[in-house]
Amino acid sequence: MSTYKLYYFNARGRAEIARLIFAAADQKYEDVRFEREQWPGHKSEMPLGQVPVLEVDGTKLPQSTSIARFLAKQFQLAGKDNFEQAKVDAVVDTINDAVTKFLPIRWEEDETKKKELANKFFADELPAHLQHLEVLGKLYGNGGAFFVGNQLTWADLYLFEMTNNLLQANGNCLDKHAWLKQNRAEVEKQPKIAEYLRNRPQTPF
Amino acid sequence: MSTYKLYYFNGRGRAEIARLIFAAAGEKVEDIRYEGSKWPSYKSKIPLGQMPVLEVDGVKLPQSMAIARFLAKQFDLAGKDNFEQAKVDAVVDTSIDLALKYVPIHFEKDEEKKKNRYEQILLNGASFFVGKQLTWADLEVYDMLDIIIRINGDILQAYPCLQHHRQEVEKQPKIAVYLKSRPATFF
Repeated sequence: MSTYKLYYFNARGRAEIARLIFAAADQKYEDVRFEREQWPGHKSEMPLGQVPVLEVDGTKLPQSTSIARFLAKQFQLAGKDNFEQAKVDAVVDTINDAVTKFLPIRWEEDETKKKELANKFFADELPAHLQHLEVLGKLYGNGGAFFVGNQLTWADLYLFEMTNNLLQANGNCLDKHAWLKQNRAEVEKQPKIAEYLRNRPQTPF
Repeated sequence: MSTYKLYYFNGRGRAEIARLIFAAAGEKVEDIRYEGSKWPSYKSKIPLGQMPVLEVDGVKLPQSMAIARFLAKQFDLAGKDNFEQAKVDAVVDTSIDLALKYVPIHFEKDEEKKKNRYEQILLNGASFFVGKQLTWADLEVYDMLDIIIRINGDILQAYPCLQHHRQEVEKQPKIAVYLKSRPATFF
């Protein structure tokens, strides 16, 4: 039985996928959250001076996606063989293609510029990514609601969390994507996920 | 025995890491390369209209990193257990952080920061990133730095650890053969 410690800010951000995986798998971990003023004092403790970091039996692992994939594999939420895991990875990478374009907009401080960039993103950039995700869901999903192999994997959890962020910015962005909405609904009704969502700290990001 | 087909442009780009893995493992692949003019007619046959795509026994898989990780695991170049594989993934992710910043082709202070990270991860002048043997993390870092060195051959002068690492990768016999014989392309 390994012991797990997750280090991040007091936010969802890049750590939330790991927390969702722990929740879905009903596994224990120490959820360490640094407030802003505390972080500078801890930065040098982390391998790359960044968080999130997962500490497994005392060894630190950086990089949010690697952390999530490791945990998903530990807890059988990654796909049942190498090729299924590859399909799951491909879905995650496709979600990240969209997230990478969205992040700079989120952090834009000029409100007018931010609105302009956001409008452009939702109108011109996002639809292709959502389309791609539906293609993969239909290609790998065996006619079911989950992305791969007719069971919950971290790809479904990752879509859920990332689309939460998108919907916060634009509540209509999934209106034309029935498959993705159905996938989200399946994730939300998983009992352990539903419970986690009810209890998790509410933070702006 | 699976059959593999790799679809990409006639270039190294995002497919080269997969080709390096096939080469390191001594495994066969049908290496399909589309010239720019032919690509539009094939685009609709590919799941996401993007390449590279790996076809495994007839099923198509997009996304260069998912492809590389899958192949590395198939051929035991991914790390020997889940935690080692996670360390390998973390090295690759760090390499991608650098590649993403690099896309506008000029050098900025951040390049220095990222190269320092590689040096940090490579402890005590070890030859390989994880587990004292070649994994696809070594191939990915090699391939990614290759792109930068082609623009500025002196860039690694201040990083003896990384220079040593490149030499270790290049002297792997199957890699040496592959590097000598691979097509020379612009990208």
